[in-house]
Order: sequence, then structure tokens, then C-alpha cells
Amino acid sequence: MSKLLNYNRERILAPVQRNNGEFKEIKFEDAVEKTASILANAKYPILYGWSLTSCEAMEIGVELAELVGGVVDNTTTTCHGPSILGVHDIGESTCTLGEVRHRADLVVYWGCNPVHAHPLHMSRYSVQSKGRFRKGRGDRKLIVVDVRKTDTAKQADHFIQVAPNQDYELLCALRAAVSMGELEEDFIAGVPAEKVEQIADLMINCEFGIIFYGLGLTMSAGKSRNIDAALSLVKELNNRTKFLIMPMRGHFNVTGANQVTAWQTGYPFAVDFSKEYPRYNPGDTSAIDILTREECDAALVVASDPISNFPVAASKHLSRVPLVTIDPHITPTTLTSDIVIPSSFVGIETAGTVYRMDGVPLLTRKLVEPPIGVKSDEEILSAILRRTRELKEVA
Amino acid sequence: MREIILTVKRTLNVPVECLEISPNSFAGKGLEQIRAMEVWEGNRRSRLEDVFEVKEEGGNPSDELTVRIVGDASRIRKIGCSMTEGSIAIEGNAGMYLGEQMSAGSITVSGDVGAWLGSRMKGGAIEVKGTAGDFVGSSYRGSTKGMKAGTIIVHGNAGTEVGCWMRNGTIRIKGSSGMFPGMHMNNGTIYIEKDCAGRAGAQMTGGRVIVGGYVPAILPSFNIEEVRERVKVGEEKIPGPFYVFTGDLNENGNGKLFINVAKNPHLKWCEEYLG
Amino acid sequence: MTELLIRNGTVFDPLNRIRGEKMDLAVRDGRIAESVSSKAKIIDASGMVVMPGGVDIHSHIAGSKVNSGRILRPEDHEKDVEERTSITRAGVGYSIPSTFTTGYRYSRMGYTTVFEPATPPLKTRHTHEELDQIPIIDKACFPLFGNNWFVMEYLKEGKLEECAAYIAWMLNATKGYAIKIVDPGGVEAWGWGRYLKRLDEEVPHFAITPREILRGLCKINKMLGMPHAIHVHTNNLGNPGNYLTTIETMDCVADLAGGGKPVIHITHVQFCGFTGNSWLNVGSGAPEIAEYVNKHDHVTVDPGQVVFGDTTTMTADGPFQFLLHKLSGNKWVNVDVEGETGAGIVPFRYRRSNYVNAVQWGIGLELMLLVKDPWKIYLTTDHPNAGPFTSYPKVITWLMSKDARGRVLARINKNARRRLDLPGIDREYTFEEIAIVTRAGTSKSLGLKKKGHLGVGADADIAVYSIDVSNIDPSRDYELVRKALANAAYTIKNGEIVVREGEIVATPTGTTYWVDPKVSNDLMQQTTASLSAKFEEYYTVRMANYPVEENYLESPTRIEAVAEV
Repeated sequence: MSKLLNYNRERILAPVQRNNGEFKEIKFEDAVEKTASILANAKYPILYGWSLTSCEAMEIGVELAELVGGVVDNTTTTCHGPSILGVHDIGESTCTLGEVRHRADLVVYWGCNPVHAHPLHMSRYSVQSKGRFRKGRGDRKLIVVDVRKTDTAKQADHFIQVAPNQDYELLCALRAAVSMGELEEDFIAGVPAEKVEQIADLMINCEFGIIFYGLGLTMSAGKSRNIDAALSLVKELNNRTKFLIMPMRGHFNVTGANQVTAWQTGYPFAVDFSKEYPRYNPGDTSAIDILTREECDAALVVASDPISNFPVAASKHLSRVPLVTIDPHITPTTLTSDIVIPSSFVGIETAGTVYRMDGVPLLTRKLVEPPIGVKSDEEILSAILRRTRELKEVA
Repeated sequence: MREIILTVKRTLNVPVECLEISPNSFAGKGLEQIRAMEVWEGNRRSRLEDVFEVKEEGGNPSDELTVRIVGDASRIRKIGCSMTEGSIAIEGNAGMYLGEQMSAGSITVSGDVGAWLGSRMKGGAIEVKGTAGDFVGSSYRGSTKGMKAGTIIVHGNAGTEVGCWMRNGTIRIKGSSGMFPGMHMNNGTIYIEKDCAGRAGAQMTGGRVIVGGYVPAILPSFNIEEVRERVKVGEEKIPGPFYVFTGDLNENGNGKLFINVAKNPHLKWCEEYLG
Repeated sequence: MTELLIRNGTVFDPLNRIRGEKMDLAVRDGRIAESVSSKAKIIDASGMVVMPGGVDIHSHIAGSKVNSGRILRPEDHEKDVEERTSITRAGVGYSIPSTFTTGYRYSRMGYTTVFEPATPPLKTRHTHEELDQIPIIDKACFPLFGNNWFVMEYLKEGKLEECAAYIAWMLNATKGYAIKIVDPGGVEAWGWGRYLKRLDEEVPHFAITPREILRGLCKINKMLGMPHAIHVHTNNLGNPGNYLTTIETMDCVADLAGGGKPVIHITHVQFCGFTGNSWLNVGSGAPEIAEYVNKHDHVTVDPGQVVFGDTTTMTADGPFQFLLHKLSGNKWVNVDVEGETGAGIVPFRYRRSNYVNAVQWGIGLELMLLVKDPWKIYLTTDHPNAGPFTSYPKVITWLMSKDARGRVLARINKNARRRLDLPGIDREYTFEEIAIVTRAGTSKSLGLKKKGHLGVGADADIAVYSIDVSNIDPSRDYELVRKALANAAYTIKNGEIVVREGEIVATPTGTTYWVDPKVSNDLMQQTTASLSAKFEEYYTVRMANYPVEENYLESPTRIEAVAEV
């Protein structure tokens, strides 16, 4: 509901084009025409964002990227990309959220702060929830691992303060403690060895444990290898008990973006169509890296605000190339764009399929009409796809 | 001896890829044929001559071939990929995936190279005078098949995950390296002459990682085994002494870390665990 | 609408007892017609084999675990790509193709209908999203029920009719086609990291046994008038000696047989057809299982035939997949689904030189060759578990040619070769039998009345292969047969030519079949009331948000089943 309360502020209500720093309203058809032209003529365009829109819109986006021989990438690239890279090497033992509610007697939050970032998580799905086999908080133990004592950590039965950027070492030590018992060092990552051994014991002796992790793990030194270590620890624990792991994904429908991109192209993000078949290699084909290397010559941003959260070098290049943004809101990205097309909100003004963080698909509904003249991402992208196809056929 | 000279003729502002810049691809072909070879510039198909001025010096099409590349090729990917013979000399920088899957021959670079240098190499030799990016000698995403044979030498610094999923061969970084050299390594030798940012040999199952300079710490899943006076890399005996660690025990690994004693006084604590 | 006349082909239409007759086929308005006008487009099928389009009864092509498999294995896709064309989308193979590639590759082989055999109901919206993006072929999916909390509770309490109504509600909610059962009770045990080995072992916390779950669902299947039998992946899969579990499973519903239709289908029998008691002495249980199948009419099977090489295993059998991960050392994905089921994915390589893999290869073929009645057995590789579906042409040559089998036998682990009966089996499938096990028999088993045959009124799904039966002896010329089956001369879908000489020429959208059993209103009301009371206790989604609407599917076809309750 909190999502609904403020959605209507700072809306864009008509397509605009920027000329000499000023935005002027243009007709929808003109916006489509110019966008199609930019994309059709680009040699290496990026189609980025997607996470705040529906799967139905994303499907069109992938088709458009394929048609124009560009790169389609989503916000995974800025947050849980490392999680996916870890999965490629190790795999993942996971579940849907109901399994945690029913069975978990040990919950670990690592590098995330659900009290603030996912406020309903603990009461709906984890330590404070009521499940078939666990009646409440008293039936469960909570371990929090973080660099400082967050509000989530304050609720923990065990709080582990890990030295910044040493999560990999701690995970490595935990895995050693789980499989071999004792550790040689006195301290690992700022944590006393006895404490590490104690946590390992709790993990081995639980009936059903789960690690939820966030950007504290994906974005600290080590990144995808931190996740590799966490996935490997959980894999090891399955030799002793039932143990699972799940990334705490934000960004509304980023999980949906991975799903759609994967079933259409084989790969979950950073997909390059420039050679007419899908290619994937984050670090090469990911939006931030392409932009940092200044190798992109046009961009379409949909339902996302990369200028706000990309590294400076990437944002700089993004604002230099022909940039079209489709978004409901005024954002730093729309303010830097050459063309902005307003769109409606999925789950409020437009129905659409979205995926929960645990891969469960849900159909969100249309609750109110969008403002007059504001179309859905699906409609806008369909129009752009149609026109781009026509331009490409003539060429 | 026939030499084909490719001179980068303009600034490139999107990725360029040619799968056929190698002596074996050029062998037996005339200049016109080589000029017509397919190149991708972003999503545009073009010809080699759109990107390079192509000249040749000496020899017949049937002679042994060398390729010389002049100019800034930092945006040009996959030079020397799947190479099976001859040599490539790059006077300048080179892009990603240099020498990917090569099985024989040699590549030398006077400048810097991008990421994935010698990825999945099966033989041959690469020497880079400048720096290298991440993932030297690594596998492809999700695959356990990294570099299998051959030699890679980088005179400058290298990035993270040198030799990721390496299966054999030798990688020598004369400068410093980023984190995780020998990540998931199975066999082979990685020698970092200067400093290493840390986590050497992470999750290795075999092979050797040698660090001649400073490393902030050793992973808790490695045990000290002994101190050795020197270690052999190829024919060369590198003087130590070195702390020798075994691991990664989390993977039941019997890989070895050779860490220079003098450069790492903060590791002295492990001497009390020596047998 | 277009008219087609397929002239002078050698037609195999087993359901209409046409066994290699030279005849013409008329097509109008997407159906087989009595005759066509002179305006019809003519396809000259002289010297070619004509069959109904292939109907694949069991192939993992869409949904949550398939997609998790794709995400797990970028290295699987990298080596096998498809460039876009003006009419086809780009994509990737190899063992877990992307959706567009899946549709194109099946069509190129002359297959026109494919069924996804295992979808977790909670996530079936995902399955439909993917199915809708598989071009050309018709499809359906089987929702999983064998570890469902509601099912186990209803059956435990003896509430058979309410359970039947629940299943009907679920089929409607998932737009599913049949009752799929995977490791009944075992996957719920795996929710705790535990295993069930025997049919009479109790599921922890539910006090019900696999046998009771199987029998209950078998009865319900009949009560609902379902077109297909219960589709079962047995307990104890992948363990030496498990052929006994398979026979026990087939037998545990033998007394429920009747009505002239099979009541149970056991899938990918190769994985549950091992004799022996350890990996060192594992052998083929195919002779014993075939003997049972030959003697009993209530059961049908498919082999899940192994093809040597690299592939990906993926099933709802979470516990089995963990064991395979331990055995192989390969990476492993596990996804448990609340209140319903699980899934596991492990890449795997079948090696000729490996004793166990070689025995596995033998088991599937022995089963196909020792089951006498081709109407009781269907060709599968349990794609991608035992091999990619693109290997079907190769498997067909193994069935049709002793020499082709012999060439492989000569190269497999010699202890396995000694252990297997296969070298001594001379039987070679005929074209008619191939048509049965790849289209006629599967359609009949699934109750698809307009598929798998070429009688007037049937869907005009037709495959034309460049095989001249007067010139080609499949026993000897198996390479030619394989090539011809891999690239159809023509594939026709609903009367439209979609493939010509192995190239896609059109990409219409197929339909998604689902079964809607009509139970009495009173019973349904009673059931939904008791369901809503518990729904949000068991699930983390609202009951109102659970069902998939019919208009969510791109092109649904509802098949009504007449229930007895």
C-alpha cells in the first residue's frame, strides 16, 4: 500500500523532447518516430531498466533489443548480478517463502536490513511469522551478520559484527567450521573463532535453516565470490541438515526481468544481440561496463532511473548519447533524456505479471485509470517496435 | 616469411569483433581475401579493410605467417582467438578476449589488454608488456574449463580472478594482481611477482599460486605446511623463502600457496603451527 | 482458408490402420478433409513418408525449473546458438533451449504437439507465460499433486470426493491437463531433508503413505473422467534395485483397472529400472518390467532413453537431484515449493565408458524392444534428463536398426555390454511402430481425439519426411533415416506449411490444451469453502490471486471431462 500512497507525485503527463536544454511537448506519434529512428540507426544501443514494469512489457523490450541488434539489460546489473554469477558456478539451494514460514527454525540475515528494506518480511515469512510447524518467534532463532548493529540486528538472538569487506573470510571460516570442526585462527573477519564455531553449530543442529542476504554481501569486496562462498556454505550444510539461501531482491519486478530474459534468450540479464544471436558475459555485455567504456551510441531506458545510481563515468556517457526514457515519474534520468514518454504504473494503472523474490508469479491488477494521454509500457513499446521494424525493413 | 600488417585506421566507438585475425585464418589467402573478411562493428557487419589498412610484406601466400597490428586496438575483441600457428605482434593495446581458446603460436602486445586474456587457452604463448584486465586465463561463465595449457606473461598488473577455474599451464604476472588469483583452480601455476590484493587460491582443488610480494591475509581454509627456500616455475628457480600453505580445505583441495616470507611479516604467526 | 493436397505420399496412420499406403491427403480449414478443390496447393510427397505430426507426451520445456536450469547454465547455451531471421527469433540450445528455439526445433523434426510434464501449481502462471512463447506447437502442462498438502490431508481423512473436487478446482486454477505425481510423499519428506524409500513408509507429519497417495489419486482420476491416466515418476528413483519399486507401483493400482483404459502411466522407466544393490552391480530391470507391462493392460510406460553426451537433469524429485549432485560433484539447484512439491537441477554427462551410464542406455532400449505392444510404450528421452529432444531421430534409428545399436554397443563399457540382454535382441521397429510410439499412441494415451491420426476431421498436423520406403531399408540405411527425421521435408500445422526442408517458413501460435472436469456444484461449493479456510494458512499468496484466468493464455483450448461426482 505504501507504494500506492505517493505514486501520483511528479508525474510526466505528455511526451517531451529536449532541445537546447528545454523540454517541449511533442505528439506521441512523433516521440515513437524519433525513438524508432534513434534505435534503428544505432550501432550499439542499450535497452536498460525494466525492473519496475510488467513481464508483458519486458517481452516486447527483448524483442526490440533483438531487432535493433542492441543490448538488453536490467537492474540486476546494479544489485544482484553477483548473486546470479555465483549461481552459475555453484547452483543454489532455495525455496518459496512459504517454506520458510512453515519450517524454518533458524533464520540468518546477512548484509541486509529487512526492518527497513523489506518491512513485512519478518512478520510474513520469517522469524515473526506463524507456520504449520513453527508457531512463532519462540520456535525460531535469528542470526544477523552485518558490519554494524542495524535495527534488524537489534532483534537477533545472535549478532555477528563482521569487519567491513571480510564477508568472504567469514563465510570461508564458517564452512571450515561446519565441515572440519575447529579453526586455527583466533579471529576471523573481526569475529572470535569461538563465536564462528558457535554459529556453525547452530547451523548444523537446526532442522531447517535459511540465509537471506542483501547488498551488504553482493556489493562488498568480493561481490560474486562472496555469493559463491555463501552458496557453497549452504551446499555443504545440506550434508548435515536442511539449509537454503535466498537473495533479498528489491526493485519490484527485477526477478521478472531475469525470468523473461532467460526464457527468451537463455540468459538472465546483460544480453547482447549485436551479432543476431544472444551473447552473455557480465563485465563485457552489462550496461554499466559498456557505458563506462563509452562503447554505446544510443539508449532506451524503461521504468528505471540509472542516472541516479550508476557510477559517475557510466552516467556521464549515458547522458551524452541519444537517450529516450519511458517512465511515469520525473527523475534525474528523465531530466537528462532527449525524449521522455510518460507511462502508467504497473499494478496500479495497468495490469501485468510480476515475479516475487522467490520466483512466484503474480498478476497485478489495474486499480485506477492512468491520466489521460498516458499509456502503458506495453502500448508504448509495441508502437516503437512496430515503427522500428518498418524502418529496418526499408533499410 | 610473410607478414600481414593491420593498421587501425580510425577511432572506434563501439565494440569491434573479428574472429579471424590469426595466422591460421590468413594462411593461404591473398590480400584481397583478407581485406574482405567479416568484421562486426557493433551490430554492423563490415570488412576487415573498413577497420584496418591491410598490407603485406615479403613472402608468398604459402609462407609461414606473422601478423602485426599497429594502432589502438583496445576496442577490438578476440584477436588471435582459436589460433593454431604462427605469431601475432600487437604494437599498442588490444581488446578483450585476446587469444581466447588459442592452442598454439604466440601473441605479443606492447601495450595493455582488456579482460579475459587467454581465456580457455589450450596452448601457445602470450606476452603482454602492459597491464591486463580481470579473468586472465579463465573459463566461460558457469563452466569449470579454464586455461588448459600454454603460457601467459603480463609485465604490468593484472585484475581479479587470474586463472579462474584453471586446469593447467602457467600464468606469470610480473606486476601485482587483484583479488582471488587461482579462484577454483584445479591445476597449473600462477606466479604473481609483486603484491596480491588477497584471497589467493580461493576454493582451489589443486595447482600452485606463488606470491612474491605482499598479501594481506591467507584464507582460514588453508593450513601452513612448511617453509621452502625456493620454488620452481618452468626452468627458473625463484628464490624465497616461501611459506607453503595447503588448501582449499573447504574443497578437499591439495593446492599450494607459496607466499614470500620477507614481504609478509604479518604472517609470522603461522610459524607456530609448523610441525 | 488454404487448401492443401499432399499427393502420393506413403502414409502411416496407425489409428486408422493405414500402414504405408500410397495415398493422397486433403486439407482444408486446418483439418483433414475428404477432398479439396482444384485451387488447392499441391505438395508432391512421392517417395516420401507421411505421418501425423509428432506428439511428445513428456518433455521439460517450460516453467520455473526449466528457467532456473537456463540461468544455471550459460555454458550450455554458449555452444549452440540460433541467429534471428526475418521470421524467426534468435535463441540458444543445447539441452535447455530458449522458448522460441524449442518451438522451431520440434517443428523441424515434424513434431507438432509437446506436453510439459511437471509444473508446480503455485508457479504455473510462469509455465503458461513460457508455453505461450513457444511458437508453432500445441502444448499442455501437468500440474503436480503427489506431495500436495491438501491432497494428502483429504486422502488421509478418506475424503475422496472432496479431494476430487479439489483436483478439479486446481486443474481449472492451473489450466492443467493431467494429474502428475512425482515421488509421492518423498518430496514432502525432502522439505525436511529426508527421504522416503518404500511405498508403505509414512510421510513425516502427514501419516499417509505413497501407496495411499497413488491409489487415492488413481481413483480420483477415474472419478473425474480425465482423458489421461495418472502420470507417475516413481519413488526411489535412481537407486540400484529400484525396478522392484516400479513393479510395485504399477501393481498397487492394478485392482483399480477397468474401463478399457490404462489407469497409470510410469514415466522415464530407465531411471527406475535398475536391478542390483550397489552402483557396482547395477543391471537392467527392463526384462522384468517389460514382462509386467506385457501381462497387464492397466499400465503404459515411456523409457526416458539415455543419449551419451552432456545434458541437464531436472525433475520435481528434489531428493533424487541432491543425491545426483553428490554422486557427480556437479553444481546443483534446488527449489522447494510451499505445500506442493520441489525441484532439482544438476548438469550431467552420460559416458559410454562409464559402467552405470552404459547400463542406463541399455535399459531404455531393452524396454522399448521387449514391450511387445507398441501402443503401451512411448518414445521419450525425458528431455533433457536423459538427453535433448533433438536426439529423437538418433534414438529412432536405434529402435529400427540392430546395426545402429550395435555400433554404439561396440563402444560402450564392456562390462555393461556383458550385463545387458540388448546385444541379443534382434527386433527392429517398423515405420508403423515408430508412428505409434511417437504420435498415434501418445495421442491416444492423452485422449487427444484430433491428434495423432490423419482421418477426416483430424487437425491437419502432418509431417512429411524424405524417406523413400521402396528404396530405403531403415535397418541398413539408418543414417539416411536419421537425417530425414531431423529435417522434415514438410511440417504442416493446422493446415499451414511451417517447415520446408528443415527450414521454418511460418510461425503461427499453437494452442494450450487444458482439462476442466465438471463436478457437481454442491460438491464444488463445499470444497471451495473448506479450501478458503485453509488456503492462506498454507500459502503465502491469496486464494483470489492463485488461479490463472483462461484469458491469460494466448490461445487456450478447454477440454471438458465428465466427472462422476
